[in-house]
Amino acid sequence: MKDKIFSVLQRVGRSFMLPIAILPVAGLLMGIGSSFTNTTTIETYGLTGILGEGTILYALLIIMSKVGSTIFDNLPLIFAVGVAIGMAKREKEVSALSAVIAYFVMNTAINAMLVISGQILENGEIAQTVLEGTIASSCGILTLQMGVFGGVIVGLGVAALHNRFYKIQLPSALSFFGGTRFVPIISTIVYMFVGILMYFIWPFAQSGIYALGGLVSGSGYVGTLIFGLIKRALIPFGLHHVFYMPFWQTGVGGTMEVAGQIVQGGQNIFFAQLADSANVAHFSADATRFFSGEFIFMIFGLPGAALAMYRCAKPEKKKAAGGLLLSAALASMATGITEPIEFSFLFVAPMLFVVQVILAGTAYMIAHMLNIAVGLTFSGGLIDLFLFGILQGNEKTSWMLIVPVGIIYFFLYYFIFKFLILKSDLKTPGREDDNTETKLYTKADVNARKEGLKKAASEDEVSGEADSISEAITRGLGGKQNIEDVDCCATRLRCTVGDISLVNDEVLRATGASGVVRKGKGVQVIYGPNVTVIKSDLEDYLASATDTIVIKSIVISSPMKGKAANLSTAPDEAFAQGMMGDGAVVTPEDSYVYAPEDGEVSFVFDTKHAIGFLTDSGVSLLIHVGIDTVNLNGNGFKALVESGQKVKKGQPMLKLDLDYLKKHAPSIVSPIVCTELEENQKVRLIKEGNISAGEALFVVDIYE
Amino acid sequence: MNEKGKMLMKTFNHEIKDEVGIHARPAGLLVKEAKKYNSKITLNVNGKSAEATKLMAIMTLGVKQGQVVEITIEGEDEDTAYEGMKVFFEQNL
Repeated sequence: MKDKIFSVLQRVGRSFMLPIAILPVAGLLMGIGSSFTNTTTIETYGLTGILGEGTILYALLIIMSKVGSTIFDNLPLIFAVGVAIGMAKREKEVSALSAVIAYFVMNTAINAMLVISGQILENGEIAQTVLEGTIASSCGILTLQMGVFGGVIVGLGVAALHNRFYKIQLPSALSFFGGTRFVPIISTIVYMFVGILMYFIWPFAQSGIYALGGLVSGSGYVGTLIFGLIKRALIPFGLHHVFYMPFWQTGVGGTMEVAGQIVQGGQNIFFAQLADSANVAHFSADATRFFSGEFIFMIFGLPGAALAMYRCAKPEKKKAAGGLLLSAALASMATGITEPIEFSFLFVAPMLFVVQVILAGTAYMIAHMLNIAVGLTFSGGLIDLFLFGILQGNEKTSWMLIVPVGIIYFFLYYFIFKFLILKSDLKTPGREDDNTETKLYTKADVNARKEGLKKAASEDEVSGEADSISEAITRGLGGKQNIEDVDCCATRLRCTVGDISLVNDEVLRATGASGVVRKGKGVQVIYGPNVTVIKSDLEDYLASATDTIVIKSIVISSPMKGKAANLSTAPDEAFAQGMMGDGAVVTPEDSYVYAPEDGEVSFVFDTKHAIGFLTDSGVSLLIHVGIDTVNLNGNGFKALVESGQKVKKGQPMLKLDLDYLKKHAPSIVSPIVCTELEENQKVRLIKEGNISAGEALFVVDIYE
Repeated sequence: MNEKGKMLMKTFNHEIKDEVGIHARPAGLLVKEAKKYNSKITLNVNGKSAEATKLMAIMTLGVKQGQVVEITIEGEDEDTAYEGMKVFFEQNL
């Protein structure tokens, strides 16, 4: 049961990643836009001439600010769709459409209830009696203020309906409405009632949320400390998104009136204040306490830990470990993505992770105590510090305090890590025993892999390096049939498998993973920020791999020089449809047909237009020169081998009179097919276009 | 099996009328047809035999126009297979 809950929470957490990914961009637009349209800023830096009201740049910046702001304003809808996509197992686009519909339906139902009960007046205004901030406009509908929760309720519910009904079969008279088409229908009906229900329930939830938020706010610095400790401790389980999101985005994280609007959630409050920064003396640290501390340990602390690990690495491994640790430290500093560093010690030295949780958790509290109010969109890196701290000015954010505290943190991390690593002989990167390789992913690996990908793509090779990695991952996860679901978050591949005992950590680690976390049927394989590439490759691979695992591949080379193409292009239906077997066609440009591989000539047809061939590797081939050439009665062909003869690859078997054939046969396109394929054998074309005799034409993959 | 427990086998002979014999295309059709049935269908000609589901084996027989092929069918659905194969040979070969 616990495992099941974990598995669901894991899915919920990763489904937040798609909507969250837009926030840095929205924040960037809004941050730049609102900073440089702020009259005070413009005047302070003497930029009125180029940035003042009426200039083109001013207009552009206003647009940027508004565009960024609209994303924050419509987050509930964005979360509804994003979560529905993330949680849907298949046919995700249908659940996205259904989520949009359900979101409008639910809010319209709530609106209707509010009108009926008189809380919204007929002229569209909110009645005086209604508690301030409980009714707000969402996508133009006046509805109960549910914030991102409203979106998440829609996303989760629609995805559940979707997964339950997307394959439903209706009676034949109604069959048009079956399958995926049923999902928007059922979503509409269900969410009409959810809306009515919300009208009754939500006011209680609202007071509950405000109470919880009040409790956290009321517990002051201790509340901040507890928040910080829990958030950092949840990282290894990948559940931190579920935990912190309510504090950032809903009333749990506090409520505040900004520019006459009631705003909920720490992050929302910050951005509302940012939009209204002309009227704000100092941003609220009570709102930003759920993230301002991150700058301290992400920009300063964790790089200190990385330096400690580097200094403790064995001399001969310093270079390798250094590359890894430097790139991980840079990721943390610049973008605030900490997983690469944290995972470099989490699995090999859990003790260090405890230190990290305590130090980082405390950082949130210290920032709160020092009244540091620097906002962020996604995580606490330099980019966000620049936009939402430095640019906003020290008077409003107290960002300068981050620097001295950060320097103290840098040394704290450095010395504590170094002390513990040396004292307990922890096997951090570069300190492994000699027989184990540094298994962590370095930037060089990532780049090499990317290059490999590009190369494979440009050369049109079907079996690139990406495929071999995906193949290894598939093997490590217990084979294609064992994989039920694949997804990823910022740094890890998250999979659900049928049988956890088939998962092989060693195989997965060899694919470049720095760690494997298993819980119930969920498996998380930690790769680093490039995991999205790995995930896409794996999905492509799983979609194209027709069956479990290829245990053997037999290469069949072209028996002639010419132009190779897919068998389906054969100008003969029987061949094109694969009735004689699967394979390829070659249009000959040279007058000899050679033995494609070592093997035996099974037969030479009397009219010499076709040769049966059995390769030593056990593949039966029919080499059929031209179409309808049986009618030529042997004219234009000269056989150089006879039935039953053993031949070596490249030995000539037929001599062709190409001019004669071109004149008298409907086509000289020559099918080369495997006539006796078993069910677990599949043909994979590997060359199209110009091919020489003896060059690999296709491969017969034999599956498990 | 009949009620006496004796193996039954159905047989018919067919003279190939196609002027180029059993070449690739008819052999492919034959294999496709033969795979519809569970019965084991065998082609016998000139003292050689080939299973009707094996394209390469059939083509190796090198059956020509005018040759008489003996087709034997045995298995649970041999009655329907017999009818089906008979029609197939009449129409295609």
